[in-house]
Amino acid sequence: MKHEITVTVNGTKHTSEVDSRMLLVHYIRDVLNLTGTHVGCDTSQCGACTILLNGQAVKCCTMLAAQADGAEITTIEGLAQNGDLHPIQEGFWEEHGLQCGFCTPGMIMASYDLLKRIPNPDEQQIRHNLEGNLCRCTGYQNIVKSVQFASKKMSGAAGDD
Amino acid sequence: MKISGSYTVNAERQAVWDRLLDPDSLASCLPGVEKLEKTGENEYDMAMNVGVGMIRGTYDGKVRVNNINEPTDYQMYVEGSGRPGFVKGTGNIELEDKGDGTTEITYEGDVEVGGPVGSVAQRMLGSVSKRMVDQFFSCVEDSIKKGS
Amino acid sequence: MAVTKMFGASVKRREDARMMTGRAHYTDDVRRNHTLHMGVVRSPHAHARITSVDTSAAASMPGVVAVFSGADLVDDIAPVPCAWLIPDSDLKVPEYRAIAVDKARFVGDAVAVVIAEDRYQAEDAADAVNVSYEPLDVVTNQEEAVKDGAPQLYDDVPNNLAFQWKLNGGDFDAAQNSAEVKISQRFVNQRLIPNAMEARGVLADFNPGSGSLEVWLTSQNPHIHRLLLSAVTGIPETDIRVDSTDVGGGFGSKIPLYGGEMVACAIAKKLGRPIKWMESRRENYVTTSHGRDHIDYVDLAATNDGVVTGLRVEAYANHGAYLSTAAPGVPTWLFGTMLSGPYKIPNISCTVNGVLTNTTTTDAYRGAGRPEATYLIERMMDLLAQELGMDPVEIRRKNFIQPDEFPYTVATTLQYDSGNYDGALDKALQMVGYEDLRKKQEQLRSEGRYLGIGFSTYVEVCGLAPSAAAGAMGFQGGLWESATVRVHPSGKATVFTGASPHGQGEETTFAQLISHETGIPFHDIEVVHSDTDRIPFGWGTYGSRSTAVGGSALVYAARNVVEKAKRFAAHMLESSPEDIEFNDGVFSVKGSPERSKTIQDVALAAHLAWDLPEGEKPGLEENYFFDPTNFTFPFGTHICVVEIDAETGAVDVQKYVAVDDLGNVINPMIVDGQVHGGIAQGLAQALYEYAAYDDGGQLLTGSMMDYCVPKFEHIPHMDVDRTVTTTPVNPMGLKGAGETGTIASTPAVVNAIIDALSPLGVKHIDMPLTSQRVWKVIEERKGS
Repeated sequence: MKHEITVTVNGTKHTSEVDSRMLLVHYIRDVLNLTGTHVGCDTSQCGACTILLNGQAVKCCTMLAAQADGAEITTIEGLAQNGDLHPIQEGFWEEHGLQCGFCTPGMIMASYDLLKRIPNPDEQQIRHNLEGNLCRCTGYQNIVKSVQFASKKMSGAAGDD
Repeated sequence: MKISGSYTVNAERQAVWDRLLDPDSLASCLPGVEKLEKTGENEYDMAMNVGVGMIRGTYDGKVRVNNINEPTDYQMYVEGSGRPGFVKGTGNIELEDKGDGTTEITYEGDVEVGGPVGSVAQRMLGSVSKRMVDQFFSCVEDSIKKGS
Repeated sequence: MAVTKMFGASVKRREDARMMTGRAHYTDDVRRNHTLHMGVVRSPHAHARITSVDTSAAASMPGVVAVFSGADLVDDIAPVPCAWLIPDSDLKVPEYRAIAVDKARFVGDAVAVVIAEDRYQAEDAADAVNVSYEPLDVVTNQEEAVKDGAPQLYDDVPNNLAFQWKLNGGDFDAAQNSAEVKISQRFVNQRLIPNAMEARGVLADFNPGSGSLEVWLTSQNPHIHRLLLSAVTGIPETDIRVDSTDVGGGFGSKIPLYGGEMVACAIAKKLGRPIKWMESRRENYVTTSHGRDHIDYVDLAATNDGVVTGLRVEAYANHGAYLSTAAPGVPTWLFGTMLSGPYKIPNISCTVNGVLTNTTTTDAYRGAGRPEATYLIERMMDLLAQELGMDPVEIRRKNFIQPDEFPYTVATTLQYDSGNYDGALDKALQMVGYEDLRKKQEQLRSEGRYLGIGFSTYVEVCGLAPSAAAGAMGFQGGLWESATVRVHPSGKATVFTGASPHGQGEETTFAQLISHETGIPFHDIEVVHSDTDRIPFGWGTYGSRSTAVGGSALVYAARNVVEKAKRFAAHMLESSPEDIEFNDGVFSVKGSPERSKTIQDVALAAHLAWDLPEGEKPGLEENYFFDPTNFTFPFGTHICVVEIDAETGAVDVQKYVAVDDLGNVINPMIVDGQVHGGIAQGLAQALYEYAAYDDGGQLLTGSMMDYCVPKFEHIPHMDVDRTVTTTPVNPMGLKGAGETGTIASTPAVVNAIIDALSPLGVKHIDMPLTSQRVWKVIEERKGS
């Protein structure tokens, strides 16, 4: 069965016809060709597919595209504005928060959600809140530092987000 | 994987026995059964749609009933395979007349699973199979009550 | 060598820009028009005869273009190759078909493939392929598999023994006979699943018009893959391009050539349309090679004052159902030769039994053989210390090779390049506050609490490898590396390396290196890797070799560029090359610094070629092929401090200190990151990870729900630092950093736990030391 959905992704409105069973992550990757959102597992453990759906971090491999009808979506491609990196991206760059980069888009989107809820998290809070995202390269230490960098920078820029 | 348990049915042993070995009640009470066709004496072809954890799908297979000692005990052999993998199991079922109009069904068996259902969902299999067995016996009990 | 502002600087990584904005192109992100998708039908049985494969229902399903069984493709693809043919070991390489033909030998063995217009259709149709199996008896454990009467995987591999490999140095029996102390221990080095966050995959695009095949591949060594793909498909190497520029982690698992990739290429050629196959994580768990899986019987001989005189190891390595590409070399050469560790052990005897079982293949996994060796030697040192009542630090110092003894040849034939083992140990002891910790431990013990301090004073062999050594070990390749440094007319440079980074950051490190050598600004240097159409040749990235070997090739190519530019500059300045100085990108006449030309000036002149120096050719580009004269031997000390909750067995890692000596370091930030990640993987082996099979050969830890890939809260904060002992083996004096953390950390963590529990008389617990296992041992001990 087909469904017509309308979603706004990174500020652009798309109307598409999708199969009932099409996963949102496949819609984003294969229909919209936004390939920054990755698939790292099939059991919703790894978080590589994390996006923002109506402002909340969501693992989009656990959702059907049809369920996203009417939603506002931000993917990693939509985070930098006018060529300026988002402070979280800056943090990952400054603190060497990525190696192979495959988990990074999901990790950044999950961090975005974390910093919205807890603007100045301590190390324990960062580790606890990002538990749903796996990284095999970094041992997580520099990701913690990346989020701390972003937190500092974002709280310096008042009113940001 | 070993499974075992017991279930007390509020009915006389013979009535329980008749239901348990009746293909129609098997078909209506085994959870997820889509097809049950008799292929020989005490042998059936079966199609069953079962989900274990996130692994759901249809298994095609056989059911065979052996070593029948009416009305006290029998052995049941089930095998099925499909995209979710395969399941094979042998179980012994004993019916004890409790003398108060109830019958205690005791079962023990050995189940082997393979493929995706074995690798991804095996740790959930114990609870799922227990639940399915309970569903089955309670359905049998209901059908006796209704006298259908 | 001098440390300039580029060599030794924590420059931010340039590859990050595309990765953190979602603009990298991993294999699954590459798009080709008219791509077909492949789904694979896999055996749910660990061992079964395939009696029939009925593809008719699948073939008629929507979107299905073709269905192939193993038999259908026998003439199109040769068997999956094994490329490490260890000599003198009675090696038997069984036939490994990309799609099984008459027998499936592990759960996940491919039995058919379906090609369809989209992935959903391919998966649906794969469901509809009807395969009949006749299940056979299964064996999953290597010690069981070699016993008489065990199920046989192959008719021509008796007792499932693929090889028996021996390495002897000195006379262990004599050492054992005269030993004052003897220690024996059996160790299980459990099976692990690599878990690169990007699973494996391929996009194969064959152009029937030109006969060329373009392949995007999750590969650590695209040139090796091109060569092997050519060999198995018959397409000439010259007509194949492999591109693996962005790869989401490897850890060894993307070294081998696998069946899925071969099949996709062969079918792309058959159908004349691009074929994409990306394995699911579930497929990844059963078909991408696992790591480790050793059972080691170890005997150690020593004197009463703690001098180790001999070591014997009998190892059983589980290779799974087939021999993967590099598999035979991992538990043999990469393991046996490292058994001396950093110690002077004159007598070493090693026998390795390579065993086939009904499990997923095993092959290199970060460290590959060296973690297994380091684990057992570092555990044995602690057992010896425990036996003699000595401090584990003292026992190590007593046996260390001393700084003035390098180069030092160990009993297992390797010649260690350089080292100062006490230096790293001293620094680590200071960082962790050792004396205070021991006092604290004593205090806590009196309160019934269990604090433990664990050491690993490791050494490893990296920088693989002198090609002659590779040949002697039976590796079917060389292990040199290529480099091209091309300076363009604008003075900007493109450098081409045979290394194939997939997370290690060499796009940055190598630009630093070339900037350091040539004075060309970092931002004017582009680093190209992992594209076989652009790189002269490359053996790839593994064995901590990229910078030690690939970087060396780049240095020499850059130096030749500078030499040529110097001759041009001399000509332009009407001087002679001997009178020209070169500093930071500027050539000047000695004594008259105002008479100078920049390397950019020279690059333009060399390209214009209006006025060439006598005998010179135009252009400014050099190739270099570097074959190292020896391996490199990074070393260091890792110290782990744990407290055990005796009620639950939970292990709390309170402190982790690592002092690594990797020689010189180009980018400390990147190297620290490599060490962090390595430690996390090694620590996870000690505490969490374990690929478990049931007796029927079903992988019980078949998903990320069941297999413990460590999460944020599983990994402690790590304090990492370095000492610097340079190596003479390469022009940069550096040793390699990719595997040290994994090699070092596992025994440090286990030693800490055993140290904590030593008041209970605990001597050993096999990994992973989950709270359940630790709790069980505590309960047993308390009861006894």
